[in-house]
Amino acid sequence: MPIRTSSGRYTAVAQTLHWLIAGLIVTQFVLAISADDLPIGAHKLALLARHKSFGMTVLMLAITRLLWRLKNPPPELPAGMTHLERVLARISHAAFYVLLLAMPMTGWLMSSAKNYSVSWFGLFTWPNLIAKNEAAFDVLRSTHHILGDVLFVIAVLHILAALKHHFWNKDDVLLRMLPFVKLDRAKSED
Amino acid sequence: MRGRRAASIVLLAAVTVWAASSAAGAPTGYSADPHQSRLEFVGVQAGAEFKGVFHKFTADIQFAPEALASSHFDVQIDLNSTDTMDKDRDTTIRGADIFDVAHFPTAHYVTRSFAKTATGYTAVGALTLRGVTKDVPIDFQFTQAGTGARLEGSAKLKRLDFGAGQGDWKSTSEVADAVKVNFVLALKPNN
Repeated sequence: MPIRTSSGRYTAVAQTLHWLIAGLIVTQFVLAISADDLPIGAHKLALLARHKSFGMTVLMLAITRLLWRLKNPPPELPAGMTHLERVLARISHAAFYVLLLAMPMTGWLMSSAKNYSVSWFGLFTWPNLIAKNEAAFDVLRSTHHILGDVLFVIAVLHILAALKHHFWNKDDVLLRMLPFVKLDRAKSED
Repeated sequence: MRGRRAASIVLLAAVTVWAASSAAGAPTGYSADPHQSRLEFVGVQAGAEFKGVFHKFTADIQFAPEALASSHFDVQIDLNSTDTMDKDRDTTIRGADIFDVAHFPTAHYVTRSFAKTATGYTAVGALTLRGVTKDVPIDFQFTQAGTGARLEGSAKLKRLDFGAGQGDWKSTSEVADAVKVNFVLALKPNN
């Protein structure tokens, strides 16, 4: 029976960033879907303004999280995982980081291309990254939507995988991203 | 005797008026060169500033620094020429809830009085927008350039004073009430 090489959990900083970003992403989907159904108007503008402010927040948090991760590697995967499971986990986590950067960046770019500058909660305005360009806006908008769909699928897989680890494998994968709980579940190497 | 006295009073009065008017000068008449002039507004949408320009406007400028009392600006703005570099926003701004260009295609600004300030001049004038007329002061600098002149200045107004924002757009949480207007006019003398 393989011995667990790491029983560590994610650092408090990594956990905080994980759950903050998770909460923001759920909010982002709700705002985006609500705004999509509205005609052009003040209400739509209000939802999208919040969507942009939260999006730029995600971008800053994602960068922080990546930098933190470089200095503080995450705990190792449970020893019982198969090679395929490990590869899938790495790919999905890498995809998350790419999307956490690509979603806000395509959003910021599409706002720039539309000449709708991005404010951060009305406190300051981010510079436009590119000049007004209707064709670029259309491409960026589609890209933003497709990436959003991909993010949704990966997030669902991520949640299902975490629940599978917790309830099926009965290992620490979910718990180590949670504060205050005791790790070292008895059956983690079964 | 009496006739001569009356005549001399009339003469004296005429000389006085002439002297006063030549000392004060008469304002020079100019019009704005549309290709080198710019009339823009800056609004705040969703917390971020956006700029719009009016491509079509006419400015009849009667101005001389030494003849402020008889100086006069008359500016007509074609609101259909509003351009904020986004067609959705332009359509919305020209639409019934904001400028309502179908009913109010032009905005009109006419000055009433001028005064010298530390850095330039200030004028009080009446702006008519969307059928509502309200006073809007402008601050500007006037620089003579050859036979022409350059007029550069700004104004601040509140869009809701003019009803430029009906329905949902009455809310100022997403589109600020305050709008800044900037202008640079390349003036050519009228001949």
